[in-house]
Amino acid sequence: MINSKQNLITQKINGLYCESANTWIDPYKPVEKAIITHAHSDHFTNGCREYICSIETGLLLRKRFGNNLNLKTIDYDKEFLINGINFSLHPSGHILGSSQIKIKAGSEIWLITSDLKRQKDKTCKSYEKLKTDFLICESTFGLPIFNWESTNKVIDYITKWVTQSEDSTSILFCYSLGKAQRLLSELNSQNFKNIYVHKSIEKMNVIYKSLGIELAETKVYDKDLEINNLKNSLLLLPPSLNNKNFLKKFKRVQTGFASGWMSIRALKKRSGFDKGFIISDHADWNGLIKTIKESKAKRVFLNHGDGESLANFLRDKEDLNIKQLKEVK
Amino acid sequence: MSLNKFSKLFEELDSNNSINKKINSLTKYFKSSSNLNNILTIYLLIGKRNKRFISGKSLREYYADIYKMPIWLIETCYAKVGDSAEVISLLLQDNLLKKDIKEDISLDQLLNKILPNLSKLEEPQKKSQIKLLWEKTTNDNQLIFNKILTGSFRIGVSKGLVTKAISNMIGIDESIILHRLMGDFDPIEETYIFLINQKLEQKELAYKPYPFQLANTFDEKIKETTSINQYQFESKWDGIRSQIIKRSNNISIWTRGEELVNKTFPELIKIISDFKNDFVLDGEILIWDEIKNCPKEFSLLQKRLGRKSPSAKIQKDLPVVFIAYDILEMNGNDIRSKILSERRNILEEKFYNSISEDQNNNSRKIKITKLLKINNWEELEEAKNSARNIKTEGLVIKNKNSKYLPGRKKGNWWKYKIDPMQLDGVLIYAKPGSGKRADLYTDYSFAIWENNKLVKFANAYSGLNNEEIRELDKWIRKNTLERYGPVRSVKPELVFEISFDNIQISKRHKSGIALRFPRITRWRKDKNIKDADSLENAKRMIRN
Repeated sequence: MINSKQNLITQKINGLYCESANTWIDPYKPVEKAIITHAHSDHFTNGCREYICSIETGLLLRKRFGNNLNLKTIDYDKEFLINGINFSLHPSGHILGSSQIKIKAGSEIWLITSDLKRQKDKTCKSYEKLKTDFLICESTFGLPIFNWESTNKVIDYITKWVTQSEDSTSILFCYSLGKAQRLLSELNSQNFKNIYVHKSIEKMNVIYKSLGIELAETKVYDKDLEINNLKNSLLLLPPSLNNKNFLKKFKRVQTGFASGWMSIRALKKRSGFDKGFIISDHADWNGLIKTIKESKAKRVFLNHGDGESLANFLRDKEDLNIKQLKEVK
Repeated sequence: MSLNKFSKLFEELDSNNSINKKINSLTKYFKSSSNLNNILTIYLLIGKRNKRFISGKSLREYYADIYKMPIWLIETCYAKVGDSAEVISLLLQDNLLKKDIKEDISLDQLLNKILPNLSKLEEPQKKSQIKLLWEKTTNDNQLIFNKILTGSFRIGVSKGLVTKAISNMIGIDESIILHRLMGDFDPIEETYIFLINQKLEQKELAYKPYPFQLANTFDEKIKETTSINQYQFESKWDGIRSQIIKRSNNISIWTRGEELVNKTFPELIKIISDFKNDFVLDGEILIWDEIKNCPKEFSLLQKRLGRKSPSAKIQKDLPVVFIAYDILEMNGNDIRSKILSERRNILEEKFYNSISEDQNNNSRKIKITKLLKINNWEELEEAKNSARNIKTEGLVIKNKNSKYLPGRKKGNWWKYKIDPMQLDGVLIYAKPGSGKRADLYTDYSFAIWENNKLVKFANAYSGLNNEEIRELDKWIRKNTLERYGPVRSVKPELVFEISFDNIQISKRHKSGIALRFPRITRWRKDKNIKDADSLENAKRMIRN
């Protein structure tokens, strides 16, 4: 059990907790001291007394959630002490600034991967391989049906999808932070008449560009734009705008969604997208197995998604001491 | 002319919600492929009794065996994806060596040679042959290949869409193309040439049924906007909708599902062959109770349908009749464009009078439906409420001035069904759906009280809206007691109103009762499980 008393990290209603340091990791409720692994809103909660995160995550958090957060930013790979417990942040490859958290007490090492990706991504540092005794690994896509194709291929699909529909506006829905910038770092703007982005995406792009990350040339989408001008163009929007009311003003339109979930046709159909592009900022089945094995952990806990299947599979096949954490949220 | 090309078509159809775009894709495809390829494509797309070369379950087991993956893991994936062919195609992406030589293959080769040969093989050979085929197939074709194997095509390409595309392409009215697609469908070159023939030759359709006209659900508004005098009222029979076609010496009985059932009902064929006139009738096959002069239970008819060549005893014990309510052709003349009142006249005067001489009075197996005398809307209500007494499903209301048109045309025919029976049940089990509802708990089981215990009495899949489905899915995941494979038992806490058309005694069910067409009509958030119905109540609803 993860919640056994002598464990350095335990799971509580409010999230993962290190009692010896009185520090929480991505807590769901306001706490005294929180380490934030990355700037996606489901990993952040307002109202904590103190936040600790990577430099890039700090920039993004301030932009998204306000300038007056009490933030302490730390370089990757640099150790810092809280109550005598040794912490360090390491790239997890998920999005810009995303971190794994390594915690050392005495000779015992714990590693929390948080969301991670093993594919290359020009907009963030690659996942750093680390050895640990105890591993808490994400498992969002923990089934063997999830196998990601190379980024180049998906970018190629997207480009063709847009350019082969000259008389339509192509709306590609994607998360405003992370996915949008990853796509923009790969798309070649010369292949498109125009690329428009939603203002929530533009807001994030500014930070990426200020860090010297190259993104395709874009214009900001404005609801007052002449609809005809959008023909034959690519429009990146957050998924929340995928509703009939919003879409009806575009006369000819095709919609797509860029997500690992698009592996499953039923999910695409249910959301009403014309096309799904399978591209994810998480590890796929083989990526997760590789991550777990490389960590050499003697105990593994899986967090989020289909962990139960992956845990059963690896326990049988590799004789690993592995278990899924309960969803507490 | 190939699987590659068909796979690309599938991808195009699957990734466009616009009907016009789908029709364009189809038209372009038909124009650039051979006749044989096209007819095989149509055969696959409209899914008309597609052959299943292997079951989804065996396919999953083969995969587990060949690639050494535990079957429980594949089943978990299947629950998430909801389609065997899709699961296999996703799993294979990880296993297929890229260096293998991938070859394209014609649909003809695949459907008429390779796969029929495959189904002839014994188990171990079959498995290794499937492995070989998987390895030869490109990643892009994997989904389509496995869908052909399992005979499961549901990609939102309806017969209507294919009809529209062909109609567009050759400039002939859709209703004619639809007619040409009725009945038997032999996926050979000639069928395609016939389908796209720009000349209209009545003879070519000789053995084909007409596209059926269907009724819309009754719209209360017509009470205010139209006069009752323009309608004709009939009983809504609960049987098998069928067309009886007699042209010269050829007789065929086609069901609405476009199945030829001559062999199932030899007694009807025998009687009809004695009739002098030719005709096409639209009506209903029923098991008839001669004494009470009304139909018997639908379940008896199902029993009868199960027998492909019924013995004399079965014909005697489960006697069928055909009740005609429309006539579409009389002595070779297509009369569908005559209005209903004229057709009714022909049905009574020309058809029924002529056969009365041929049928002896004791065994009137071919009947015509009686018109109900209804003079005002109150009487309609009364007729509906008493419909259960004469074992019908309610009424059909038909516009006397309407032509016989294919499909559901607004304003021509209305069905007015009796109010369903209802019981309030407690949700006890849930299972994920398949297809579009994969990974959503949408298949539910409900229980009612037997003394102090809950006993399962109904399974229901439909009736909730998308929002309710999502809300319930979340609740189920949070309130799971136990898991049995894909099935979860849940805390008995939620009450639903279950509606059904009929209730019968059943030895097969633990509760001792069986419901006809149970569906959810309301989520009773106002009710506590103590308010759910009892088995005793349910049994009281059964009438004999």
